[in-house]
Amino acid sequence: MSKIPPALQYTEEHEYVALDEADIVQIGITDYAQGELGDVVFVELPTIGDKFDRMHVFGTIEAVKAVSELFCPVAGEVVDINGALDKDPSLVNRDPYGNGWMIKLRVKRVDDLKELLSASDYAAHIGE
Amino acid sequence: MPESAVALSWGLLVDDRPRSGFENMALDATLLRAAAAGHTFLRLYQWSPACLSFGRHEPALTRYDRDRIEEMGLDTVRRPTGGRAVWHNEEVTYALAAPANAFGSLPDSYAIIHAMIARALKRMDVRCGLAPAPRSRHPAPSAGACFASPAGGEVIANGRKLVGSAQTREGGAFLQHGSILLADGQDLVTTVTRGPAATPAATSLSALLGRPVEFPEVVTAIVREARDAWGSERTGAAVDPDPDLVARFSDPGWTWRR
Repeated sequence: MSKIPPALQYTEEHEYVALDEADIVQIGITDYAQGELGDVVFVELPTIGDKFDRMHVFGTIEAVKAVSELFCPVAGEVVDINGALDKDPSLVNRDPYGNGWMIKLRVKRVDDLKELLSASDYAAHIGE
Repeated sequence: MPESAVALSWGLLVDDRPRSGFENMALDATLLRAAAAGHTFLRLYQWSPACLSFGRHEPALTRYDRDRIEEMGLDTVRRPTGGRAVWHNEEVTYALAAPANAFGSLPDSYAIIHAMIARALKRMDVRCGLAPAPRSRHPAPSAGACFASPAGGEVIANGRKLVGSAQTREGGAFLQHGSILLADGQDLVTTVTRGPAATPAATSLSALLGRPVEFPEVVTAIVREARDAWGSERTGAAVDPDPDLVARFSDPGWTWRR
């Protein structure tokens, strides 16, 4: 069974959103997603200040045999990126909800967070 | 997840001439776009001139000796898919582009496609199978060729890699392509690698069968297997590469971007 922390919110594309401050969220991929991908070897992240619309591609992730897109769960501006992934992308496998986070985003419309999946909805989505 | 015998609307593209590296990658990436619109394609092709391809995110500038590659006059291209370098010379290359869920999850699709290719090669009396999943986590790739080590589920024979594949997923579709070696020349990757590199542990159809194997024989086996698995292909599947993708994959700035 994959870890699906109940306090977080999710997308059908397997990103999670953790509320950091009032309008700042931490974004990464779920434990299920890292398990499906396999060993992550590279994460291509945006730069601080980049702005994204909801579900637009903010980066790519490469596992041993596949490259996949990363989708921005809500619209907003990147205020921080996890530079540690450059040297150790396997953090995404080992600690997806902690040290394997990807970007922090200043959310454009906080109400957009209401459209994300709950932990139970996400569990149903992945059949767990 | 679809089993091996499930009717599928798919188009078959068998190239009537080998293409250059950038043409091949532009055409595969074009098929990926078409797959996002709901189409499924199987393409079988070759390369001319022979070409060294890098993985989508490979640090080619530091991993490989660009001066030496250029002195040797080698054609190069960066793939849209992940993985490590491949020397495309005597091989049959397959590309399968399909909507993301057409073959289940990423691991499912990888397994289904490789199982189909293995069945096709067995039609040619090749004794091959699928590599077991690794027991420990795979280390981050160090310098070395795609064929240096098999990942779980890849087609192997005598413990050596016979088919090297990679996949990308974007826009609601996936593209998986891979090299089925007619003859083994992967040592060339080691030749142009800076510093120590893992020795490719590849094998080829010619080595396994003890006779020369040519493109048409492999194409026939794969097409028969695909038809058995998915039913007859639809007709009129010709696709031209999108001009913007031709521009990307022919641009040295893309090939040597990192």
